[in-house]
Amino acid sequence: MEAQPRPSLAAAAAASSTQPLRSEHVARLREEQEKVVTGCQEKIQHWRKVEHDYEALQERLSTLPDKLSYDIMVPFGPLAFMPGQLVSTNEVTVLLGDNWFCKCSAKQAVGLVEHRKKHVRKALDDLKKVMKNFESRVEFTEDLKRMSDAAGDIVDIREDIKNDIEVKGKHRTAHKPHSKPKTLDVFEADFVDDSKSKDNFLSEKELWARLDELERQEDLLGELSRKSDTLFANGEDMTSSEEEKEDQKTDVMKHRITDSFTQGSFQKDITNSKLLNGQVNGSSSYSNDDDDDDDDLGVGDNSVPTIYFSHTVEPKRVRINTGKNTTLKFSEKKEEAKRKRRNSNGNSSHCIPELPNIRTPADVYRVFVDVVNGEYVPRKSILKSRSRENSVCSDTSESSAAELEDRRGGIRSLSHDEAACSDASEGILEEEEDEHENQQKKLLSLSGKLEAFSGTVIEKELLSPIIPHPGTVHPALPTIPERKEVLTEVSEETTKRISKFKAARLQQRN
Amino acid sequence: MPGKGTRREDATEPGTFASLPLNKEELNSKIKEQKVVVDELSNLKKNRKVYKQQPNSNIFFLSDRTEMLSESKNTLDELKKVHQEIENTEKNKIKK
Repeated sequence: MEAQPRPSLAAAAAASSTQPLRSEHVARLREEQEKVVTGCQEKIQHWRKVEHDYEALQERLSTLPDKLSYDIMVPFGPLAFMPGQLVSTNEVTVLLGDNWFCKCSAKQAVGLVEHRKKHVRKALDDLKKVMKNFESRVEFTEDLKRMSDAAGDIVDIREDIKNDIEVKGKHRTAHKPHSKPKTLDVFEADFVDDSKSKDNFLSEKELWARLDELERQEDLLGELSRKSDTLFANGEDMTSSEEEKEDQKTDVMKHRITDSFTQGSFQKDITNSKLLNGQVNGSSSYSNDDDDDDDDLGVGDNSVPTIYFSHTVEPKRVRINTGKNTTLKFSEKKEEAKRKRRNSNGNSSHCIPELPNIRTPADVYRVFVDVVNGEYVPRKSILKSRSRENSVCSDTSESSAAELEDRRGGIRSLSHDEAACSDASEGILEEEEDEHENQQKKLLSLSGKLEAFSGTVIEKELLSPIIPHPGTVHPALPTIPERKEVLTEVSEETTKRISKFKAARLQQRN
Repeated sequence: MPGKGTRREDATEPGTFASLPLNKEELNSKIKEQKVVVDELSNLKKNRKVYKQQPNSNIFFLSDRTEMLSESKNTLDELKKVHQEIENTEKNKIKK
């Protein structure tokens, strides 16, 4: 029913779009719509009757069980009746459909009736909606008819619209060559198609050239941004670290040296993807030997990336604990540690073979006897290392937290190398003396065998470099990778507490 | 049996309530029917039996004469009311 009027409506709409409305069409449209409306009304009427029947039935069913029996006139065909009695009032057979019946009580029958009424009501609502819809359509078509009857105005408006469309089309054609002045473009377009195409071509060329330029700029910017980002991340740390160093009383000179060094390396390695990896590794696990190896193998200047990383990572820890100064030291320490690692890796042959060296008391003596200014200075005890005292000094100066002690060792070594220019103990510089190397190897071997020992030894060595003695030999330094290990860290942590007091004393001395 | 003639087959009466919005013509016819029913019921002898048809079926239930009379009178009043309302609305429309 609904589908019929719609096509007519669509046809009418199409007709209206192309040509003025014809009163015949509109009238027919309205006719169809009114047909739908009347059909809906009839249906509604029918459904209302059904609903009413159901209501009556429901009422009867609800009251039927009230009595045991009813006197009724029993239909005997359509016209004849005979008096009778209606018994078993609470027993009803319900037609379920397709000649299937169901025996049930009056109450259940009432429920069934209610369910069917629901369905009827739904149908009624739908029909009402349809009717409303089409009534509104009828109104619309009536308006349409009125408009079509008073045709003059509508015709004028349509002409205007056509003009507008034409104008738009012209504009669009003119826009294509827009790069050049509009007038020229128009002229060219009007007179010669070739010229127009040329213009387009030129414009395309220009466009591509422009795009290329933009791409280049993007690349540059992208690189710059990356660099700037990296630089910023590092630079901030560096600056802060520098400032902190300046503030530091004791190791100012050393720190500066290390800072400059780190920055230079940093800039070199910024572009290195390896740096990032190294940073990541460093951040995730500072004590990882594998990371160190990667750095060494991957990039000669891996120290830069590592520095980078350390700077970024360190500030967080440092700030939490002590502040900028500590952060600076950390970064330096990291760099140093990395360098040491490299060196150790570069001299990797040292580390592995060195381990077995300490197998005799003499080796132990070598390892734990510090060489100060070419003189052998025995340590008071293996457990109490000068390095710790030295480290204490450095700690006090740096005011670094206990967490950083591991790194401190590395930093100290760096300071030694740069300040003294000859700290073989750390093994950072290949220039280190053979003796230093041997000692380092011994230390490494010790550390490899006895981790706790190695950790302590490292500390001592680190401390020794803190007191810049060019001739001093620090065997522990090469054990940097071991420091990274958890065990070493723990030992360092334990030592840290002690070192603070000592550091205070050292600071006073300085 | 005795109430043969008073069988009320216009049991659709109550239905008129539900289907109030009818045409004016239908309403008028229904009013006429109802008037007849009331007259018939009121003129019945007291011993006559009155049956009321169950709507939409062919069964006639025995019912009370007076009840049916009052019921049919009520329906008649209702129908008249509706008729009045329709007329009023039509008048208003004409005035406007």
